[in-house]
Amino acid sequence: MNPLLEQFLSEARDFLQGIGEKLMQLEDAPDDPELMTALFRMVHTLKGNSGLFEFPEMTRVLHAGEDLMDGVRHGQVRYSQELADRLLDAMDFVGMLCDEIEANGRIGANHSADSARLAESLRQLNARVEGAAADVGADAPPQQKATEPASTDAALAEGVLPLLADIPESVRLDAYGRAGNAIPLHWIHYTPAEECFFQGDDPFFQARGTPELLWGRITARKPWPKLAELDAYRCAVNFQILTAAPRAELDEYFRYMPDQVRMVQVPPLLFALPEPATISPAAVMASEEAEALAALVAAQRNILTLPIEANWQLGRIRAAAAALSGCLKASGDLAALPGLEAATAMALEEAAPARLLVWLDSRFAETAHEAPVEVEPDRPAALVHAPSEAEAEVKYGRRADDGVVDAKFGRRAEDAAAGAKSLKVDQAKIDRLMNLIGEMVVSKNALPYLAGRAETVFGVRDLAREIKSQYAVINRIAEEMQDAIMQVRMMPVSFVFQRFPRLVRDISRKLGKEVNLVLEGEQTEADKNIIESLGDPLVHIVRNSLDHGFEQPDVRRAAGKPAAGTLTIRASQESGRVVIEISDDGKGIDAAVIKRKAYEKGLIDEAALERLSDQEAVDLVFASGFSTMEVVSDLSGRGVGMDVVRTAVEKVNGTVVLESEKGKGTRIRLSLPLSMAVTNVMIVESDGQIFGMPMDSVVETVRVPRNAIRTIKKSLATVLRGRIVPLKSINTLLGLDVPPKANAEDELAVLVVRLGSESVGLLVDDFRATVDIILKPMMGVLAGLSSYSGSALMGDGSVLMVLDVKEILG
Amino acid sequence: MTIEYQKNHAVFSDVVSVQEAEGLLEWLQENPAARADLSACTHLHPANLQVLMAAQTAVGAWPADSELAGWLKSALNSA
Repeated sequence: MNPLLEQFLSEARDFLQGIGEKLMQLEDAPDDPELMTALFRMVHTLKGNSGLFEFPEMTRVLHAGEDLMDGVRHGQVRYSQELADRLLDAMDFVGMLCDEIEANGRIGANHSADSARLAESLRQLNARVEGAAADVGADAPPQQKATEPASTDAALAEGVLPLLADIPESVRLDAYGRAGNAIPLHWIHYTPAEECFFQGDDPFFQARGTPELLWGRITARKPWPKLAELDAYRCAVNFQILTAAPRAELDEYFRYMPDQVRMVQVPPLLFALPEPATISPAAVMASEEAEALAALVAAQRNILTLPIEANWQLGRIRAAAAALSGCLKASGDLAALPGLEAATAMALEEAAPARLLVWLDSRFAETAHEAPVEVEPDRPAALVHAPSEAEAEVKYGRRADDGVVDAKFGRRAEDAAAGAKSLKVDQAKIDRLMNLIGEMVVSKNALPYLAGRAETVFGVRDLAREIKSQYAVINRIAEEMQDAIMQVRMMPVSFVFQRFPRLVRDISRKLGKEVNLVLEGEQTEADKNIIESLGDPLVHIVRNSLDHGFEQPDVRRAAGKPAAGTLTIRASQESGRVVIEISDDGKGIDAAVIKRKAYEKGLIDEAALERLSDQEAVDLVFASGFSTMEVVSDLSGRGVGMDVVRTAVEKVNGTVVLESEKGKGTRIRLSLPLSMAVTNVMIVESDGQIFGMPMDSVVETVRVPRNAIRTIKKSLATVLRGRIVPLKSINTLLGLDVPPKANAEDELAVLVVRLGSESVGLLVDDFRATVDIILKPMMGVLAGLSSYSGSALMGDGSVLMVLDVKEILG
Repeated sequence: MTIEYQKNHAVFSDVVSVQEAEGLLEWLQENPAARADLSACTHLHPANLQVLMAAQTAVGAWPADSELAGWLKSALNSA
């Protein structure tokens, strides 16, 4: 994928996001002209960008969206819920196309129809208002507009279907043969844009290349001017093409010019006519197949009743019978075929058409009368509608031609100025920087060892001192550099928050609830990985809240609350951690219900049912497999919810706390570290090895006299500040068959760590310093060692294994 | 040059590109009674075609390529 396309995709996503946001904001302030202009600009720019590539499907939809927004901006179209819905749909479609481009590098031709449909639905909104304006008829220009389609109507109607008289006999026969074999024929009107020659197009070449071309012709758009006035470089010819290619192939072939091409499927009966005079072409296109069929049948009847020389009689009967059987096949009336064949056989035997006429009367009597009624009323209207717009577009293009050029360049310049302030960098590059600075920190830490060796091994004190002062400088720079790189990785939480307005809107509308979303502290920053890991848990929580938390508006009113609930998502920084609080003023969690459900599902036993406090009961929602919903909805209630949230948050060393008051609402607090890149660990020694213990889980370090350690059954424990703390030997946990060492005063080193809400003491040999390390997760073959959360390289080149407290104690 | 202007004939050969249209238009204004010889022509940019249509130029020889001839006849015969 080329860099330009990559940039386009990344920008397009930003724009789509921005467009979604603006639409949401417009919902609250539908008349805000600034918002409107901003929205228009986004759609406009996105459309312009998409035009750089060959994505006609995308450009078409965006173009329609742009026109619509232009209408809204100028007050011709009113902002409405429906408009927002359609625009959002269209933007979702564009987003999907972006995904497809990213995956495959191109857009499949099968989206062409969707694209046209969406563009049409957007244009409808525009057109509807234009129509309405014409109805009012107060001012002159709309009046003119209203009459315009009428005249184009007539002009187009004449050319909608090919006139048989124009088609050479050989082509007609070929077409008729194909129609008989149920191959759909299309009649294409190709009206190239006037300025297409300047864009390097050769419409004639395009027309000649039409797949399965049967016949084509070239017509002038209007009478030619005098040669002196002719502009050879403005396209003034139209192409009309008859083809047997399937519609999909044609869509693909003409995908770059859908607005210049009109395709009509040709009723196969059109070609069945040997004599164009028998049936007027106007009748065919006005009333479609039904009337054509009726006319055709009538023609056969006429033919059969005409006086004729006897020796031609048989041929005439055969011809009429063939035509009739064609009619039956075309109209799908296969059941009547045997009757026709029987009648024909008898007529041939008698050498008189009477039998066939009788059959005709019995078969087609009612059809002939019904025919005119069967006309589809919407079809001609639809046929006329689109071209009139295409026409309008051509006019618009012509009118705007001169002025637009300067304006466009001006706008491009602005864009460039705005873009220069920030860089888009691939995440892999930042990660590489991060790894490099990690190595830098490690190798920098080797300098103090070197200084030590210079002094002790080589006995050069001065050199040792110089190395140390150099180390101080490098250390400072390295730390600043690390900090700077961390800053680059920092992202505002708005990155995950921005999807919520849309989510809340969609879900609450679906559920028929009214919810106001309040977002606070969107500028709070944290490491990219942390922010990204927040996304899914937050979506879960918000969905839960909308589905279970909020009541229906009437229930709320009855409970004395405002009909619209409030969902607040607040982010803030607290002592080196990001805290995200999601609170709603819904019905809260009923501890009694939770207990009962948990008991029913076998998550707790009867004793626990009595013993659990309300808060403990509420925490049960985090238990795996828990769901209070009776019915599984497509939103939540499948029992995957809060436990997934807890797992995801704990994966990045975060915590979740849920508080709820029945009838008042629920509050969930997520607390996450600012960054995962640097981990503070305490180094402990045991059996001659060193291990790292994350400082997050370390409560305290104490030395306990051996006689203060009690043995309760087979477990060790001690009393610390009046609380019993169970003790475990780290050697035993790691399978080392060595007793813990005591120091000179016969005291054992106990590292007290937090395990959930409990404290556990770990017996180790000795404590060492705490260090900041860059923790690398266990990879490859080592990934299966779950007792370690990762490893880090120390300054002297040794590897420090960092323990996973939960795993070794769990 | 894919159009060769003879005394009273414009002879088209190969693919006649869009650039030829201007010259053709000028030439036809000076020689309104000229005829076009398209026999060696394999493709004609529509800019040229519309000049021929507007000038109602008579065609002396149709292209050898029958498909192209079909298209051109539809445009030039009716004009």
